[in-house]
Amino acid sequence: MTQTQLPSVLIVDDNEDNTDIIRHYLESRGYPITVAHNGDEALSQFETVRPSIVLLDVMMPGRDGWEVCRIMKSHAEHGKNVRVIMVTALDEMDDKRTALQTGADDYVAKPFDLARLVQVVERNAALLPTATR
Amino acid sequence: MTQPVLLTDSDDTAVAQAAALLESWRLEVRPGERTLAVAVDEVADVRAVLTTTINPNALRDVVEQARRLGLPVIVGCRDETARRRAVELRVEEWYRIPAEADEIAARVRGAIARRMPTGGEVTDRVARVEYEEMLYDYLTGLPTLPVMVERIRNLFKDRGELIVLYFNFVRYSKIEELYGWEKLDAVLETTAHAVREFLSDSALKTSRVMVSARNDDDFVFFHVPESGVAAASDAEVTELAARLERFVAGRIEATHGEEVAALFDIYVGRSHVYYSPKTRLERLIYRGIREAAAAAKSVEERERARKVADLRATLRDRRVYIDYHPIVVADTRKVFGYEALARGEMRSLRSPEVMFEVAAEADLIWDLSRLCRSKALEGVHTRLQPHEMLFLNVDPQDFADPTFTDQLESEVKDAQRVVIEITERTAIKDYPKFRERLKAFRDRGYRFAVDDAGSGYAGLGSIANLEPDFIKLDISLINCIDTNFIKQSLVETIVRFANDQNAMVIAEGVERAEEFETVKKLGVHLVQGFYLHKPARMDPHATPATVPRYTEAAGTGD
Repeated sequence: MTQTQLPSVLIVDDNEDNTDIIRHYLESRGYPITVAHNGDEALSQFETVRPSIVLLDVMMPGRDGWEVCRIMKSHAEHGKNVRVIMVTALDEMDDKRTALQTGADDYVAKPFDLARLVQVVERNAALLPTATR
Repeated sequence: MTQPVLLTDSDDTAVAQAAALLESWRLEVRPGERTLAVAVDEVADVRAVLTTTINPNALRDVVEQARRLGLPVIVGCRDETARRRAVELRVEEWYRIPAEADEIAARVRGAIARRMPTGGEVTDRVARVEYEEMLYDYLTGLPTLPVMVERIRNLFKDRGELIVLYFNFVRYSKIEELYGWEKLDAVLETTAHAVREFLSDSALKTSRVMVSARNDDDFVFFHVPESGVAAASDAEVTELAARLERFVAGRIEATHGEEVAALFDIYVGRSHVYYSPKTRLERLIYRGIREAAAAAKSVEERERARKVADLRATLRDRRVYIDYHPIVVADTRKVFGYEALARGEMRSLRSPEVMFEVAAEADLIWDLSRLCRSKALEGVHTRLQPHEMLFLNVDPQDFADPTFTDQLESEVKDAQRVVIEITERTAIKDYPKFRERLKAFRDRGYRFAVDDAGSGYAGLGSIANLEPDFIKLDISLINCIDTNFIKQSLVETIVRFANDQNAMVIAEGVERAEEFETVKKLGVHLVQGFYLHKPARMDPHATPATVPRYTEAAGTGD
């Protein structure tokens, strides 16, 4: 029986230490990983790689995470096949409402532990349209 | 070599300083809402356009003009709305006002880098058109106007005339607020598909009818009659427009339901453009578009006047009926009560959103509210079982209506059966005074529900201020809550809050089994929505014995 492939994940954070840590952790679990360090890079990777899951930091210079989320989720071809997880200190109701307006599917509060992160990735992976898995 | 020009409508010194930071650039300032778009065409050596206008039409005009000439646009945004608009128009760069000169300069440089296709400037017209062919409206897949204009210019020149049809889509109240942007996008997609389908099927496909999108609201049709064929007569074009309108409206209703369809109206305007060698072609065409848009606007205004007339007749003859939406207990599915939803008997006013919006514009809100309440209250003693509650929508402004208290006094026998629903959305300006008024009603036994909770207009603190007995979740929170963890988290927070306040939470707009299961799991107490019951019109002449009873929710959406 063939092993079902894990969905590809795009990690977006301007802090390289963060992206390194998350990448190593998820790669060791078998997730194909791409990394971007700002909004423009993220959108460019989004076009070429078409990730199934995006871990998106909110606070970034240039295009912030909200804008990137909105652009990705409203993408004509891929928007419906991707789940965007905001990485932020989302404990205020206002932030959650902004997240909804931009189309985000889930969030992970900072600082997070990696086990929790994997949980969140997994529960979103389970909701991906099966065709893209 | 000529000096590159940064063209702007902003007199912000930061912009001037930014231009100075861009070596050898010159700044041209054209203040005023409409002059920038024109200036794009007229000023020589413009290399980038920077606008800070808050007028959405002016913004669109500038972006269109700039795109035509391959110029990048940078938008200075004062607020979130402006930013969103800029993003939706896919401008090359944006920044938040106030910004430092060096940030603005960086944005201008970034915009130019993005705009230039690799390989240098595109001067060849054909190549430019192909480049602009990439400019398709992301949602409808239709070409944007600059592309369309380029395609028809030769046809127009050959045939000498062009008919422009402008389809203006009007969204009553705030469909995006009510149903969320995903729903709005879906409806616009349906519209675009319907439009394309209609065109490919219609007899007019032999004559050149082309359509493009102009922002996400409207559609522009260009009809260039075939050479050798007589131009379609006014009557034929009118008929085409009417058939298209009906086709699209029918599609929206079939795909998204009557409730949503009732929130849209489509108005068509027409203009006839004749080729003249003395005027620039693009200017003729854009002028034709503006004329057609203006014509569509006056159709819209005539329709509104007609609706006001319909409303007056409705008020005079009391032609309002009540849909009673059952609210059931999540665990047992037993009916807890009914929300009264008033609808106009006249077709034009069948949507409550439309009816109330027309009333607001015509200053007839109080009269309409009074009539709707009257009709709703009639049902308490004749339609509902003794233990069933009536949920009555009341605008906070109604509390200022002097006859409001009198009406409740005379028409309500048992205040404990009535729950007054106030929407979180209306800004309640004077909380202490408002709470006093509520207290007077509470003392008589009335209970209160806060509607649209979680929709973003007030925090939990403001809701707590009202000491509600019921908290109704905004329907956009319930839509697809089974696949959205942020919505689940928000509802969880509200349920916890409600339990602390001894209030019950009602989930409205539950349409699918998965949504029902999710809200139940989150601890929501009461549920309302098409999954449980389609609302029924209760026959005004029925007696209690003949009215069908809901004792339990079937859960099949019947």
